[in-house]
Amino acid sequence: MLAPTTRRRLGAALPLLVVWLLAAWPLVLYLVHTRDPVAAVELAQFAARWLTRLAVGAGLLLGLACLLYPPLPAWLRLVGHDTWRRLGTGEAPLRRALADLAHLETAQRRLEVARLAWHRGRAEDAAVHARRAIELDPQVASAWHLYGQALFAQNAIDGAAQSFAQAEQLDPGHAFGDALLLHGRCRFLLGEPSGLELLRQHERQHGGGARSHVWLAEALLRAGEREAAVAALRIAAQKPTRRTTAEEGLFRAQARVRLWRRGGGS
Amino acid sequence: MNESWRRVDEIPVTLVVVIAYVTLFVVCRPFDAPQEFRERLDTYGWLTGEQTAAGEPWRLLSYAVLHGNVLHLLFNLSTLLSVGPALERSLGSVRFLLLYVVTAFGGGLGTCLLYAPGKPVVGGSGALFGMLGCAIALNMRSGRHLLAFLDYEGPRRLMANVALNLAIGYFLPFISNTCHVGGLIAGFALTFLWLAPGRPSTRQWAWRLATTALLASLTFAALLPVTRRDWLDRAREAESDPARKAALERAKLLSD
Repeated sequence: MLAPTTRRRLGAALPLLVVWLLAAWPLVLYLVHTRDPVAAVELAQFAARWLTRLAVGAGLLLGLACLLYPPLPAWLRLVGHDTWRRLGTGEAPLRRALADLAHLETAQRRLEVARLAWHRGRAEDAAVHARRAIELDPQVASAWHLYGQALFAQNAIDGAAQSFAQAEQLDPGHAFGDALLLHGRCRFLLGEPSGLELLRQHERQHGGGARSHVWLAEALLRAGEREAAVAALRIAAQKPTRRTTAEEGLFRAQARVRLWRRGGGS
Repeated sequence: MNESWRRVDEIPVTLVVVIAYVTLFVVCRPFDAPQEFRERLDTYGWLTGEQTAAGEPWRLLSYAVLHGNVLHLLFNLSTLLSVGPALERSLGSVRFLLLYVVTAFGGGLGTCLLYAPGKPVVGGSGALFGMLGCAIALNMRSGRHLLAFLDYEGPRRLMANVALNLAIGYFLPFISNTCHVGGLIAGFALTFLWLAPGRPSTRQWAWRLATTALLASLTFAALLPVTRRDWLDRAREAESDPARKAALERAKLLSD
């Protein structure tokens, strides 16, 4: 798995690389032509033929895979949603908010910068600003929550667990139980038995959706409670009564696949 | 009236283009016999991929001030007069001139590379599509974020207008849509990367460099289309070495 910074740099460099390859193509053809005109024509026809085949094949394969494997369309929706959110969160408000900090720095202002960075998909920057917001005022639960999310996105599970615990302690039920749920997930990933307890507590207090039930099912499976895990997966795979978020859709699709594998249906 | 004349001073390039459209249309004497009119359009610089590759690169620009009939001229004039003045005022005359030249060139490249090489193309529509691309890029650049302009009715209509015109161009066989698309992309890229206000970032400079290289490379491909039948045929005729001549002949037959 690539680090978020590397992924971002690769994402920015790939389209540029495509443009440079396109720019190089006529020169390559000309160089081949100077040596052998027939080879240049054959090369151009070969490239055109294979690009068409690749495009058509990839389209067909993607369509078929979407039909056969439900998490794929859900994942595509999630990627589209994330891209739209990143494009839809401008750089200008972030720069303005950062410039404003030079005049007056408060925890809320710093948290606003962290939030904007988070919505731009910059987990590292968000973590730095959220950390500073916590230093300025350690009583702001949403700063702890955001700091935890940013650490969680960077795979710093231990630090994230502590942050979510702090957010939950300051404001029980913070963000409609999201801090509790993520705290439970972190403890589960760390291999601690308290993870299952926290996830159960979350289900009792907040009910939860596809994501929380898939995570609960994973914790139950590890604890050897197979029946309860299948029941949790069934809840996660239930057809939603209203339009869900892209992330919830992905977890629901994953739950359906796991139920099929276990022969439970959905 | 005085106010209107004063405002006319602000759009010299638009006016020069309008005058060029009308003058060249009249000079070509469109009401003479069709064959004579076609010959004059050819003399004054209509665009075909074949002629451009045969050593007449000036056709990449000259086609953009010629028109094929009265309806064509009036349609392009009305578009130019509705889009041009606002853009010229917002960009400035020198930048607007640069926009017209680059987008006409981009449209010409689109025609040379992707349109039937022997079919002639005339009209300023490539450059006019470039202006629409420029308007889209300006809208994208001036909002709170790149897609903020889609929240407003005007820019949404602009996008619908572009889509509608491209659809019309796709379905009507006598319209060179490749020219429209070439102009649109050129206008968008030029404005987005070079003409829009603001200090360019390192990333923007990387894109500027890459797109300039792409433009140069596509121009090279339009002037030396080494895999196209007509160019190979001419190269074969000009070749004196028998072995090379035979290779060019084989390449020509293969390119059919």
